[in-house]
This record gives sequence, C-alpha cells and structure tokens, in this order.
Amino acid sequence: MNEMSYNEVTRAIIRPMGSAGTFYKCVVAFWFLGIVVGGSCWGYQISQGLGVAGVKNPIAWGTYLINFVFWVGIAHSGTLISAILYLFRAKWRTAISRAAEAMTIFAVMTAGLFPLIHLGRVWLVYWILPYPNQRNLWPDFQSPLVFDVIAISTYLTVSTLFWYTGLIPDLAAVRDQSTGWRRKIYGILSLNWMGAHYQWHHYGSAYLFFAALATPLVISVHSVVSWDFALSIMPGWHSTIFAPYFVAGAIHSGLAMVLVLLIPLRTLYRFENIISMNTLENIAKTIIFTGFIMSYSYGTEHFIAWYSGGVEQDSFMWRMTGHYAWEFWVMLFCNSIVPLFYFFKKLRTNVYSLFVIGLLVDIGMWYERFVIIAGAPAHAHDPFMWRVYSPTIIEYGIMFGSFSLFFFLFFLFAKYLPAVSIAEVKEEAPRPLRRRTA
Amino acid sequence: MQQSGLVGVFEYLDDLLAALEALKRGKSDFTVFAPVALHEIKEAIGMKTSRMRLVTLLAALSGITFGLSLAVFTVEQWHFVVSGKPVVPWIPFVIVAFEFCILFGVVIPFVGLLIIGRIPRLRLPSYYDPRFSNDRFGVLVRCGEGEHEEIVKLLKEAGAEEVNEVQG
Repeated sequence: MNEMSYNEVTRAIIRPMGSAGTFYKCVVAFWFLGIVVGGSCWGYQISQGLGVAGVKNPIAWGTYLINFVFWVGIAHSGTLISAILYLFRAKWRTAISRAAEAMTIFAVMTAGLFPLIHLGRVWLVYWILPYPNQRNLWPDFQSPLVFDVIAISTYLTVSTLFWYTGLIPDLAAVRDQSTGWRRKIYGILSLNWMGAHYQWHHYGSAYLFFAALATPLVISVHSVVSWDFALSIMPGWHSTIFAPYFVAGAIHSGLAMVLVLLIPLRTLYRFENIISMNTLENIAKTIIFTGFIMSYSYGTEHFIAWYSGGVEQDSFMWRMTGHYAWEFWVMLFCNSIVPLFYFFKKLRTNVYSLFVIGLLVDIGMWYERFVIIAGAPAHAHDPFMWRVYSPTIIEYGIMFGSFSLFFFLFFLFAKYLPAVSIAEVKEEAPRPLRRRTA
Repeated sequence: MQQSGLVGVFEYLDDLLAALEALKRGKSDFTVFAPVALHEIKEAIGMKTSRMRLVTLLAALSGITFGLSLAVFTVEQWHFVVSGKPVVPWIPFVIVAFEFCILFGVVIPFVGLLIIGRIPRLRLPSYYDPRFSNDRFGVLVRCGEGEHEEIVKLLKEAGAEEVNEVQG
C-alpha cells in the first residue's frame, strides 16, 4: 500500500467491482433464499401468533433478543475501527474502515428487525413512538426499552451518514472510471462531487466531527442494550457490570466478525497489498485484549454471585451445571480460551487460523447471549417457575434469515461499492512529487 | 455574465503548490481540484476554519435541548411516580438527551455539508476533468480574455501538464 501511486490505488480498488461471476451469483442467490426462508417464517408467525416461537413464561425473551443483542454487538467494532481509530490516527485502520463501517450498518439493520419480529403484532410498533394522540399517551422515557428505540435509531442514522459521507469522494472516483448507465448511477450516488478545495475542506471537518460524535455511541448504545436486562430484578441480569461487560463483548464479537468478513474479501479481491497482514494481526491482538476483559467479567460475575449467596449464587451454579451447561462451557471455551491461541505469532499471521479463531469467537459470543438471556429467567427466584427454553423451527428459520440478510447486504456492498476507502488510502500513499527530497 | 477561465492539469503536487503560490500573489480567483484531501493544498490556499465546527456545536446543543424537552414534557402530562423515582428523574433523561445530541449533531451538519459543499449537483460542469478524482490535480482560474496569456504562462511555468480554456 505504501508504494502505490494514486492511479494504482484507484485501479486496484475498483477492479473487483461491477461484473459478477458465477460463484458470486450462486452465493448471493443462496443468501437471498435464506432471506426468503426467514421472511416466510416471520410471515407465518404474524399469521399464527408469537406462540409458534418457543418463548413462554418464565423465559419471555429467546432467540429474538439473543440475535438482537448479537447483531448490535457485531456493529460496535465497525464504529470502533472507523471512528475511534480515526481519532487516534491509527494508520492500520485505513484499509478496513469502509468494510467495517458497512458491517456496522448491515448489522444494525438486521438487529433492528428483531424488536419488530418479537413484537408479534408488528403493525402496532408505532405505539413506542412519541406522537400526539387524543388520549395523551406517551412512551415512558424512563424505560430502557424506550432508550433502546432512540439509541438504535440514532446509531443506525449516524452510522449510515458517517459511512455515506466517507463514500461520496470514492463514488465520484468510481463514476469517473465508469461509462454509460453505471456512470449515471454512481454520479447520482456521489452527488456529483468534484473534489474542489472548499468541498474537501468542509468534508474533512465534518468527517472529523462525525467520527467524534459516533465514538461515544460505541460505549453508549450497547450499554443501553445491556440495561434492557440490568434494569430488571432478575438474578443474573440485575448487575452493575452489565454495561462494560456487554460493550467489551460487542467489541470482541465484532472484531472477530471483521476477520470473518475481511479475510475472504482480501483473498478473493487480491487486496493483500492494501489490507496488510499487519492490520489483521492488530485485530487479532485486540481480540486477545477483549478476550481478557470477557474472562475478567465472567470471573467477576461468578465471584460476586458466590459472594452474594442465595439466588444469585444458585443461578450461576446452574449455568455451569444445569440444562444449559453445554452452552455455558462452549461460551467460556470460545471466548476466553480460543483467543489465547492468537498469542502464537504463527497463528495470528496465518489467514486460515485467523478466520477459524474469529469464527469460534463469534459462536462463543452468540452462546454467551444465549446463556445470559435464556439462562437467567430459566432459573430465577421461584423454583416452581424453573423451566427450560428451546427455540422452535420458526425461530431457527428467522435466525437463518437474519444471517442471510447480513451476508446478502455485505456481498452486494462488496461488489457494487468500493470496499476500501480510495481517498483515505491515497492519503497514506506517497505524494506525487516531481522533486523528491533526499 | 459568462466568464471565461482556464483549467490547468497537474500531475505533481509540488508543481500545483508552486502554481497556487503564484496565483495567490496575483490575487486570482481560483478553485483547486484534487483526488484526495491534502493539508499542503489547504495551507497553500490559506483556508479559514470551516463553519462545520459551529454548525455541529449548535446542532448538538439543540439535540440536548430537544431530548430533554421531549422527556420532561411527556412525563409532565400525567405525573406518574415510577418505581419511587422523582416524577422528572435526571438520570434516565441524561441518556435521552445524549442520544438526541448525537443524532442532531450528525444529521444537521450533514445537511450543512451538502449546502456548504454545494452538492448535490445536477450535472458536472464542463471544466471538470474525470482525472481529478484519480491521479491529477486541477486549478480552475476564473479570468477575463485579456489575462489568459499571463495565466497560461504562469501555469505552464509551474509545471502544468495541460492548460485548457473553459467557459462558464
């Protein structure tokens, strides 16, 4: 990347765009089928009622909330890479920030579907909004569920605008390299950006402020999501550690998803000299760090539960040994033990091991959400109310649909939009100088 | 009135900077095109702090105001005491105010960026060269017919690859 000229940068990033091969079409068709499956399951649920899902008293929140929290968590590290590392001027972020921010937006979009799915009567969702009405009814702004509505909508809007602002100059570059109807479409999308000095000036200032404003969202949004649980009195949920615990978990799962998405992208698009091994290594090192935070969180939770005695202690013992023990130990292994393999340089500089470990971390983080969300209400205060929850085929169908939607959107992005930030990579490239200083 | 102008195309950044120095000395009216934001160009032109700073600050403050107002207004309608908390509790309302601060602080400046950046445009002007988004720099100098020769000489001496006449 360091020795590429501006023209080489433009060509390298634009080259994979546009024409779709058979392999690409097959994969996208598969994801689209997955969306149809998920949509059909949701349609069936709307027609038959929420009873087709496995959620019932006392476990009122099942895979819909697990997937909601999982996808919002995935989103956060995209903003960490594109906004927070931008403020820190971390050079290794440049090549991956565009794809990471795209991952954020698609993950938040996918997450945002789940409160609608879980509503059952989805046509009544507008009740959560503060609109004037004859009965003078308003949402309760003290409720974490209402915080969630505001936080997630803000996060989606801000991430999209931040991502799109960064895309404008790159879309102009693609426009200028295209012909025919492609040129027209990219021209519209780029708002006919010209790269004039006054445009770059205000753009640079705006981009910096957007990054600065998106940064606190990384901490706040998942803290708000965690308070959906922590503001209850459920043992295993009502804990002050939840905000930092969830945020760290979000970064942990999100960075792993970045590896899962970017390693195939890098290989298929031959971006090896743009997305360097150093970048992937830095992500792996950060995953070690977030893995330690997760291990510390698990340790703290269990210690405090034991120290508290009573219901809390029993609830956490049950997690380790009860019906969901298998999920618990998979979670612990994948989130705490597996990232330690990144300590070996051979494993964190090999794309296969990077990918596999990233995938295992994501699986572990999904199970962590399962253990928290299903495991706590399954074994709460009243022994008479202890139950077990199993997702139904409809829930699995919707979950498959959500993963399909995410990958479908990401594949479309990777083919039809510049997956690496052209302008930012050019900023890192050597200046084109006639008179080079010694 | 249609004014004519000249567009100089530069391959090298130092040539462009030399041209800008000369144009500034001659107090010419010019616009620079570049494929990437470079601080060297900004310094050469001598640009003042962007208005985006003030717009963002005001937008964020208005977001806080709106968020707090919305939350306080809704709770004042019925005066419910929720879980023994005060009717107007400041702790949860910090969250609402903060989120609206961020929302307004990005949406309003985004619109401001479109206005100040004069985008979207219906079509690209005739003086725009597609190479300006790839690997060439450009300078559009707005001048009368009489100044053409002087400006062409200035640009060519600085190292311009091409100098083209444009209208509009």
